Amino acid sequence: MRRIITRGIASVGAVALLTLGTACSNEREGSTGTGDSQAKGFAKDSLVGVALPSKTSENWVLAGDLFTNGLQEAGFKADVQYAGASTTVADQQSQISAMITKGAKVIVVGATDASQLVTQVAQAKQAGVTVIAYDRLITNTRDVDYYIAFDNFKVGQLQGQALVEGMKAKKPKGPWTIELFSGSPDDNNSKVFFDGAMSVLKPLMDKGDIVVGSSQTDIKQTAIQGWKAENAQQRMDSLLTSTYAGAKKLDGVLSPNDTLARAILTSVKGAGKPIPIVTGQDSEAESVKSIMAGQQYSTINKDTRKLVAETINMIKSLQKGDKPQINDTKSYNNGSKVVPAYLLPPIIVTKKNAAEAYANDPKLAPLTK
Amino acid sequence: MSRIKDLQKNLFGGTASNARQSGMIFTLVAIVLLFQIWTGGLTLTSGNLIAVVSQYSYILILAIGMLMVIVAGHIDLSVGSVAAFTGIVVAKAMETYSLPWPLGIALGLIVGASIGAWQGFWVAYVGVPAFIVTLAGMMLFRGGNQYIGNADTVPVPRDFREIGAGFLPDVGPDTGYNNPTLLLGLVACAGMVWREWKARQTRREMQADVAPVWITGIRLAVMLGAIVFATLRFAGGRIGTSLPISGIILILLVLAYSYYTRNTIGGRHIYAVGGNARAAELSGVKLRRVNFVVMMNMSVLAALAGMIFVARSAASGPQDGLSWELDAIAAVFIGGAAVSGGLGTVSGSIVGGLVMALLNNGLQLEGVGSDMVQIIKGLVLLFAVAFDVYNKRQGHFSIIGSLMRPFRREEPPGPAGPASDPDKTLVAG
Repeated sequence: MRRIITRGIASVGAVALLTLGTACSNEREGSTGTGDSQAKGFAKDSLVGVALPSKTSENWVLAGDLFTNGLQEAGFKADVQYAGASTTVADQQSQISAMITKGAKVIVVGATDASQLVTQVAQAKQAGVTVIAYDRLITNTRDVDYYIAFDNFKVGQLQGQALVEGMKAKKPKGPWTIELFSGSPDDNNSKVFFDGAMSVLKPLMDKGDIVVGSSQTDIKQTAIQGWKAENAQQRMDSLLTSTYAGAKKLDGVLSPNDTLARAILTSVKGAGKPIPIVTGQDSEAESVKSIMAGQQYSTINKDTRKLVAETINMIKSLQKGDKPQINDTKSYNNGSKVVPAYLLPPIIVTKKNAAEAYANDPKLAPLTK
Repeated sequence: MSRIKDLQKNLFGGTASNARQSGMIFTLVAIVLLFQIWTGGLTLTSGNLIAVVSQYSYILILAIGMLMVIVAGHIDLSVGSVAAFTGIVVAKAMETYSLPWPLGIALGLIVGASIGAWQGFWVAYVGVPAFIVTLAGMMLFRGGNQYIGNADTVPVPRDFREIGAGFLPDVGPDTGYNNPTLLLGLVACAGMVWREWKARQTRREMQADVAPVWITGIRLAVMLGAIVFATLRFAGGRIGTSLPISGIILILLVLAYSYYTRNTIGGRHIYAVGGNARAAELSGVKLRRVNFVVMMNMSVLAALAGMIFVARSAASGPQDGLSWELDAIAAVFIGGAAVSGGLGTVSGSIVGGLVMALLNNGLQLEGVGSDMVQIIKGLVLLFAVAFDVYNKRQGHFSIIGSLMRPFRREEPPGPAGPASDPDKTLVAG
């Protein structure tokens, strides 16, 4: 045992002495980052780090490719990293540390867990790195500089409006009977989507124009754990049995995203009921097909290309030493400070405008023909 | 014996020493060297070394406990879940009842000990295989984590974060370095010199061959050089940084557990049980108690690792601890432990863990994606163990053998290993 240690130390020492004649060099001087490096700008070919969650959704994979290409086109060196599938948080932490060590000037973070990056973000700040939270806000820290995302409250509003319009088109006179679904309770965005939709639906519910058949209107009752399709299908199955077994007709279902929307439709079809108006989000290929086939009513287009392009624009202004463009300085309080945000508008897509909305999308455009 | 051979024997501990025998140590050095060149010198910068230590200390802490479990012939799959469960309990308790942080840590250790007692009971006294008990524990405590935390992330107070993200304070005169770290380095140097002198004395008393003075001199110079280098690196980081607190906890644990497994009766019993449980029992080893203690100890260390991770992340989340058990098990096997039990050392496991850590770090510095990193780590694990198995079958010295030899030579094997000179290992590394 002693020899192992001895041997190890001896070899490490030998290497250390060989490779580094200047073993006493010191990093204390010259690296006292103060965090206001943004005001001065930085070299045009600097390193930009992008830390994304694991490759579990198409969106993240696409975003990664777009970042790699976009940053290189803009003249930066890009280091785009995904967290591993099973060790997401720890991976992301060490990836961010590695980016700081490599001297990145800006780090874009799509957080796997919004509140477990405090230490790394603080480390970045001390090293004078600008941190941009991408799509998901980093919480409980003062050290995040900007937030860029689609306006999620607006997503909810658009879903609510689409639901009402769709039902009106089918049955011009109310009252309409609907059911509500919301996203996973551990995702901050779920509540934002739901609140957005309720800001449209609630006034109509109060007037009696819209009736929730099962009277389950609380977000706790409507939540689908883990955004899982099977959970949504189960809930819809039970709703159909409990509430719509008789002659009662279901006119619409508020669904927060496409996966859940399709699960809801599967359940309705399985029960042999007429298809209600169902909303969605994310523009998944399957759902776009379903919309074109007249089953799912709407989805939301959050164009990852635009979001990445805007992020790169933000990095470009930081490089020049300018203040990046911001359009919201009030809404995003992360628990420690209000993070200046740039919000992009989402676009609602129905059968009517699908061809137009996806015209630039090589994958979805053919589906709308 | 020629001078060259003398040098080989005494520096690397084998008469027919070659690169293969020194196994993982050389792999570790090679990896450091490779990445040092490949990353243009980034690997050995202060900032990076500090980051590596604070990123991987919790895995290395798990590896210590896992080594003992594996040596005793068991396995523990529940460590990640136990860590996550402890993390959420501690975070919730501090949030809900505004528990001060020392009580939080105490609570965490108690939770770990209770879980360990629970698992140890099933393994040792009921006789359910540890694989099954801890597989059950893996689900049980993962579920517990989600139940208590509501699958949500719970932040922890600032003081508590010190154990995972903290550094030694900058005190004393402005030397351009972090003074407490310098002091630790000095203590380590003194300890090293003292131990070397003590070892020579012991050998002389036992009338064994004493290495020539010039060899001791060279060895000491290299070791002191390494310590001085490491000290200056850790002390010379950005202002406000030093050797991380979690790294100090790790070093203390490595010293304590190395001593325990090597020099105490309880520690030797673990090897006896892993080597041949029946024979050990007939020789008077209390089999059940050894198994119980080993399983319980693992959960306590898992709890500690969980708290360090939570402290570093500033919050306890539903994804904490995922696949940590696999990292810890890999470190132990790369470090030369035998799947069948009875073989392996704490320092070997730490070296194994460092190999993985530096591989990970170097690949990340190079911007290699996590998919490729996992593939490479998988291959390293497979080849490290396969190489060892192959060498043993060929009748060559095995890496495991080489890792084990030093302590076989220094003390008689078996449960009655003497603790004649306990002090001499206290300051290792």
